[in-house]
Amino acid sequence: MRRSSVFGIFPLLLLLATGEASAHAMLDHAEPRVGNKVAASPHEVTLWFTQKLEPAFSTVTVTDPAGKQVDTGKVRVSGNQMSVSLRPGGPGTYHVTWRVLSVDSHSTDGSFAFQVGQ
Amino acid sequence: MDWFGAGGNGPLIAVRAIHFATTAVTAGNLVFRTLVVKPVSHFDPAAAKSLGTQTLRLAWIGLVITLLSGAIWLVLQAVSMSGLPLDEAMTPGVLSTVLSQTQFGMVTEIRFALAIVLAACLACHRSALADALALAAALGLAAAIAWSGHAGSTLGERGNLHLAADAMHLVAASIWIGGLVPLVLLLAASRHRPEVGSAALAREATRRFSTLGIVSVATLSATGVVNAWILVGSFHAFVVTGYGRLLIFKLVAFAIMLVFAALNRFRLTPRLAASTGNEARLDALHKLTRNSTIEIALGFVIFAMVGMLGTLHPAIHLVVR
Repeated sequence: MRRSSVFGIFPLLLLLATGEASAHAMLDHAEPRVGNKVAASPHEVTLWFTQKLEPAFSTVTVTDPAGKQVDTGKVRVSGNQMSVSLRPGGPGTYHVTWRVLSVDSHSTDGSFAFQVGQ
Repeated sequence: MDWFGAGGNGPLIAVRAIHFATTAVTAGNLVFRTLVVKPVSHFDPAAAKSLGTQTLRLAWIGLVITLLSGAIWLVLQAVSMSGLPLDEAMTPGVLSTVLSQTQFGMVTEIRFALAIVLAACLACHRSALADALALAAALGLAAAIAWSGHAGSTLGERGNLHLAADAMHLVAASIWIGGLVPLVLLLAASRHRPEVGSAALAREATRRFSTLGIVSVATLSATGVVNAWILVGSFHAFVVTGYGRLLIFKLVAFAIMLVFAALNRFRLTPRLAASTGNEARLDALHKLTRNSTIEIALGFVIFAMVGMLGTLHPAIHLVVR
């Protein structure tokens, strides 16, 4: 290979080897909203994703400020939407942890928190 | 250095690439046999018959490898979906959940049924109905891959557009790249047959395949733009994501294929048609064979890239908008 070709390819390789712009953005939005405060304990948590989900391999759990699981365990998935009902709880920070499989078979997981009362 | 972010997915990428390539070779062979060679077989019935046997054999080999690689793909996908190690994912419980409760599994079942129909039609290939059914099943086998990939999970109306574009993309790629394999066989055979009829068969088949190639390239370009718009979405995403970078490499390989295809179509095919002496004809055939073989090699490189692209998160989901 000629020397000029090597020098020509080098900047291209550097450009190609640069990192990703950001983390995955599979979760589009949620209700209660990520990081927001709601007045009373919600009846359910709903998450919307950027792609359609596979119900058989998609889960979500919600824990109360004491770390106790407050979701009923019955996750409902429809299209890109996943919901789970909650048992009533007190004020404080609730944590939502999810793992989903999109229809194109990509698994992603994540978590977020929301506040109740106070 | 992991430029594309596909680390750890080697076996899945390899099996997907092999599966796509053999599916394309199977479908492309049958299209070539039915739409390219059959209408011009009267020029040299013996050579056409011999090529027919070769394309049938290739379609069988392609189908068997498609079935085997499809089974391995299912197992690897079950591992990926369940998050379990291979020995635990290979249990009937996990595999039946994947097959019956996921879109990938259902598409796999439908494609398996199409493969069985195709095998039955190839087995009784002497009837015109069986040939037509085989062609439809082979093209369906290629098109249905769209439902197991990114297009299958795109939301709403855009999802329908994406599926239509991806299915057409897969069919066009199969016709072009898969059809190049029997074209090379025909051109190579023609070099050893000096008869006038054999030259006419090679000339007319090359001309017909060229037309099919132009339609395939136009379809690939139009549907490729739709797919890129949905999965990449911006120039920025092309440059900063592994998905976008790999797609740039794919486009470069496609562009090089186009150069060779254009040389074949606009320089060598007319030269083959106009050649009066045996030497000029052999030279044109030699160059057509060489260029088509290079196109096949580039096509297989593209299938390897597609094998990897499907395992990556689409670029549009990775950038801050």
